[in-house]
Amino acid sequence: MENTLLIGLSRQMMLERQMDVVANNVANVTTNGYKADRSLFEEYLMPGAHEDNFVGRDRRLSFVQDRATFHDFAGGPTEQTKNPLDVAIDGKAFLVVQTPAGERYTRDGGLQINAQGQLVTASGNPVLGSNGPITFQQTDHDITISNDGTVTVLEGVNNAADSIRGKLRLVSFAQAQKLLKEGSNLYSAGAGNSARPDTSARVHQGFIEKSNVNAVTEMSRMVEVSRAYTQMATLLQQQSDLQRSAIEKLADVPA
Amino acid sequence: MRALYTAATGMAAQELNVQVISNNIANLRTTGYKKQRAAFQDLIYDHVRRVGAQASDQGTILPVGIDLGGGVKTVGTPRLMSQGTLSQTGNDLDIAIRGEGFFKIQMPDGTYQYTRDGTFQMDNQGRIVNAQGNPVQPTITIPQNSAGITINAQGQVSVTLPGQTTPTVLGQIGLTRFVNKAGLQPVGDNNFTETPASGPPQDGIANIDGYGDMQQSSLEQANVEVVSEISDLIAAQRAYEMNAKVISAADQMLQSASALFR
Repeated sequence: MENTLLIGLSRQMMLERQMDVVANNVANVTTNGYKADRSLFEEYLMPGAHEDNFVGRDRRLSFVQDRATFHDFAGGPTEQTKNPLDVAIDGKAFLVVQTPAGERYTRDGGLQINAQGQLVTASGNPVLGSNGPITFQQTDHDITISNDGTVTVLEGVNNAADSIRGKLRLVSFAQAQKLLKEGSNLYSAGAGNSARPDTSARVHQGFIEKSNVNAVTEMSRMVEVSRAYTQMATLLQQQSDLQRSAIEKLADVPA
Repeated sequence: MRALYTAATGMAAQELNVQVISNNIANLRTTGYKKQRAAFQDLIYDHVRRVGAQASDQGTILPVGIDLGGGVKTVGTPRLMSQGTLSQTGNDLDIAIRGEGFFKIQMPDGTYQYTRDGTFQMDNQGRIVNAQGNPVQPTITIPQNSAGITINAQGQVSVTLPGQTTPTVLGQIGLTRFVNKAGLQPVGDNNFTETPASGPPQDGIANIDGYGDMQQSSLEQANVEVVSEISDLIAAQRAYEMNAKVISAADQMLQSASALFR
């Protein structure tokens, strides 16, 4: 009798988590380079005491639990900003960012220059080139980032020849799902997952990759989740009514 | 119900987004204005089931974990320092910069501020000053009764003095560069001040070392593009609405849960 309540509760807890995932996607609908999360669920068979040798076997109780959230790495829409320090990555690659905690990876290409002349992310962490951080000189102007990530500038008086300041490191992963979201638009590689150079990815200067959250999908998923939750609540309510009336009826002493 | 708070961060972020966009649109006709944009990042994640954890005694590894995010934060409102279009004004003391530099303006308290707004006038002493009456550096004084002010691409100011036929060079308006222009602090009146993020000012001369050149009788328009601002505004407004919808859906769920106890 109580099993109904517990199974219902397991589903409600799972729906609540799914709602959290949807809410986070919607909150990040304007976050550059954000990748949406999806929830996965699985059945959980109760490993309770049971006896399967009789004709009428014990029925296993099946609960539900959320097994995982996986990242949807589909590309987001790209917007032309005409800002020379904005880069959008075409392909599965990530930019490499140097943080105090080690190397992190990002798809957010809204870059800046710090007071030391280094190319940094919006949080101020250096973006790594193949030979470490990319640093500009004080007289550099007209920064160009080519499709393979090579950063060139016009230097001071010499307006005819380009000077190369570095080449953006682009990496991809054998198991992209193992990437762990760290917040601040950064991913860490995760256990047993190493970055390898990606030569097929292309960089587009003056564009930025927007969030790949599909508003329509998220909204319909949200409606689905909240309806299912309410439905479950009603079911639990009916179940408890059933129990109450059963107890009342059975306890009715005939006069 | 984490979703409530997550959606609240989303609404706060979009509110700021609309503020930034509206300031850009308000300054559509401001000489030398540089547009801003809001940059967002996701908040920290709660790793409920960490990826790579062992799922069984046999050492099965979880291929993916459960990560619940906490919403969104604004990391900054970087300024886009791209060149604005130049428009002809016909006024002798209007100067536009094509390139990297800024005009250096001396404030009454002796400090310096920097601007791309080259709307200059002459004050009662003949000095070339900005709209607030503060002299552009180095200070150049134009003698009375002189005619035909010309300012060349390097910023050299020359006039024809009374009784002379050839122009006399009075001085040279300088330009200042910063390693990180976007790190300058806006202080209103179209002016900026240096910050630790911008790097120290480097004074120089126009048309050399990438300082950009000057163009007399022109002004630099704001680099705001109406079409992109309006489309950003629509996106921000819709995102705000959607976050509000998430809050009401989460509220409904809570309501149905609390209705269990009668």
